[in-house]
Amino acid sequence: MAGIFDFAPAIALLPLFSFLIALLAGRRMPKGGALAGIAATAGSLLLSLATMLSLAGGEPYHATLYVWAQGVEAVDLTLGVLIDPLSAMMLVIVSLVAFLVHVFSLGYMNDEGETGLARYYAGLGLFTFSMLSFVMADNLLMAFMFFELVGLCSFLLIGFWFRERGPPSAAKKAFLVTRFGDYFFLIGVVAIFATFGTAQFAGSESFPHIAEQALHGEASVNTLGFEPQTWFTIVGLLVLGGVIGKSAQFPLHTWLPDAMEGPTPVSALIHAATMVAAGVYLVARMYGFYALSPTALAIIAFVGGFTALVAATMGVVKREIKQVLAYSTISQYGYMMLGLGAGGYVAATFHLMTHAFFKALLFLGAGSVIIAMHHNENMWDMGGLKERMPVTYYTFLAGSLALAGIFPFAGFWSKDEVLYETLIHGLGGSPLLLAAYAMGLLAVFFTGFYTFRMVFLTFHGEPRTDTARDPHGVRWNVKAPLVVLGTLAVVAGVVNMVPVEKLLGIGGIDFLHQWLDGSFEGLTAHHYEEVLPYGSAYLGGGETATVAIGAAVSLGLALAGALLAWRLYNVPEPVEHTDRLGGVKTLLYNNYYQDEYQVWLAESVTYPLSRAADKFDQGIVDGIVNGVSSVSLLSGSRIKRIQTGVVGTYATLLTLGLTALLVVVGLLGGWF
Amino acid sequence: MVPPQWYLLLAAAVFCIGVFGVLTRRNALIFLMSVELMLNAANINLVYFSQYWGNVTGQTFSLFTLALAAAEVAIGIGIILVLYRNFDDVDVTKAVTMRW
Repeated sequence: MAGIFDFAPAIALLPLFSFLIALLAGRRMPKGGALAGIAATAGSLLLSLATMLSLAGGEPYHATLYVWAQGVEAVDLTLGVLIDPLSAMMLVIVSLVAFLVHVFSLGYMNDEGETGLARYYAGLGLFTFSMLSFVMADNLLMAFMFFELVGLCSFLLIGFWFRERGPPSAAKKAFLVTRFGDYFFLIGVVAIFATFGTAQFAGSESFPHIAEQALHGEASVNTLGFEPQTWFTIVGLLVLGGVIGKSAQFPLHTWLPDAMEGPTPVSALIHAATMVAAGVYLVARMYGFYALSPTALAIIAFVGGFTALVAATMGVVKREIKQVLAYSTISQYGYMMLGLGAGGYVAATFHLMTHAFFKALLFLGAGSVIIAMHHNENMWDMGGLKERMPVTYYTFLAGSLALAGIFPFAGFWSKDEVLYETLIHGLGGSPLLLAAYAMGLLAVFFTGFYTFRMVFLTFHGEPRTDTARDPHGVRWNVKAPLVVLGTLAVVAGVVNMVPVEKLLGIGGIDFLHQWLDGSFEGLTAHHYEEVLPYGSAYLGGGETATVAIGAAVSLGLALAGALLAWRLYNVPEPVEHTDRLGGVKTLLYNNYYQDEYQVWLAESVTYPLSRAADKFDQGIVDGIVNGVSSVSLLSGSRIKRIQTGVVGTYATLLTLGLTALLVVVGLLGGWF
Repeated sequence: MVPPQWYLLLAAAVFCIGVFGVLTRRNALIFLMSVELMLNAANINLVYFSQYWGNVTGQTFSLFTLALAAAEVAIGIGIILVLYRNFDDVDVTKAVTMRW
């Protein structure tokens, strides 16, 4: 029977068609191929929703579609589709954000008279296709292939305005930095194939399952002589390299703020649903594998917490609205990594979802502001936009409240659950998690501060420039996506109100927990909790009190940050307060000198190393080859002189040769 | 019965005369004749040993050699004619254009 799942590949293929249409015929089409893209992503969205609905009452789906390399006594390399609650949820998020971004692009790109629109929409189509295929990938190699394709598309779109100076360089940086992480990912993929002989995510022949059996001594795997536990940690960390690059975690986060050079709708797509989300999604996808390695989990959690804090502090001083959002993205993905590392699989997935909504909203809101400000992104030139663009203001405010984690907006629920999971597992005997928790909490304060600094500087007070006094209006195609996402940013939290459930004792409203339990055996949230190496403990007063205290602390800190921003910046004529920070200000403006340090690494470590390698290559490897050829050339040019052209010489040589041969044979044969 | 070494010595002497001719003479026709001498030196050996062992195979081979020599002369004369046409001479030391 042809079920809805048989159409699952179409979810990804529709944007591929729109890519082809925009690429081949976009120039001749009205609006540069935008309508094809909108139609395709709308189709993807509808199909994703239908898939999600039929999954709600049915079984998850897994099918191998195509074997592109048949292994002879070895592994088959396949393309397949895996539709389980996690991927179905992600498909909806990605196709929704992609759809809204396409619509928004009508306002941001077409109405602003950009050229090269066909190229732009082709890029968006390919980007959406890659991410959707990545999400539904059923094995790690397929995931890796589309992971790379996502990286390529981000390169193309960040560098969209390639005639200016900044974007091409930012695109190259994004490509190279993420590629550095992907290099480890590739080794990890090979290691997983070598260890388990499969890279499937689901089923009894999947690598997380085999790994689990191997740890119990029920299966034997090739671990290159390491203890299975150690080896799984190494493999997990190799794959994590790709995650850290794509999800912009410390120390590979430096590409993301520069990626703001791309068009704003692209930033929304990159930050909310594709590219950056790919890293976190990958960890969630193979969570059964990471859950087996306490060391890898601890590293994920610590990197996440650290990134959340560091990025949040950098966001505090930025002047451009998109820069603030960029650092908030890094920080929020830090929370997701923290949640995953701390054993909060559902919490992190939840935050991935809410963040997708409110960050897409904030970027599109920022895009709307940028249209209004005639492409000036400096917040110090704005102010007072509240009255002039109310739709943008109220939706942006909803997104900001969600980002800051203010009750009852979506971000509050997810961030609170991440922190709560970290806290109880930290109290259960993992001091490292408690340290990560402390950093996460501190970051909540900074998040509240920079978010509302951004809101107040942009929308409140008196207009500080003429452009802000008379902003450019925006049309329905900008407002409609904002309204949709604004609604979601307000209400998306209801899918998983765990604190309410625990405090009030209402059972069964942790919908996301139930939803993520409906997967294949071994891929459920329930199963992950069983294999996780963490114990749980509560503060004095039990579970309910811990929930209440955790929520109160994080909400309090967020409100404190917001209040500080209100005091400092919600005035008619705000001034910069960064000078009060003293030396820290310079440090923050320069992003902790991360760029400088990485450039230094490249210039004084990698460059000499590659020069030495080049010397070796040119001198020794090529030297041997060139030596052989010049020896034959030289000897040839000498020996050719016996070809005199005189027949007598040849006859003489023949006779001499024959005589010499006879003498030698005679000597050896003992004739004499 | 003539002892075998006499035949062998005769054949060797004829062969050496042929080699000498090839190495010292410049006239292409004499070249050709010298080559004939070398071939026939081999024929002497073949025929003698055939008779010595009472087996006709060797004689058959010498017939083949004769046919071959005839063919060779036909080609050789042809080459010499072309040589003469191009260089107005049959001196092999003159035709040295095919060199490095």
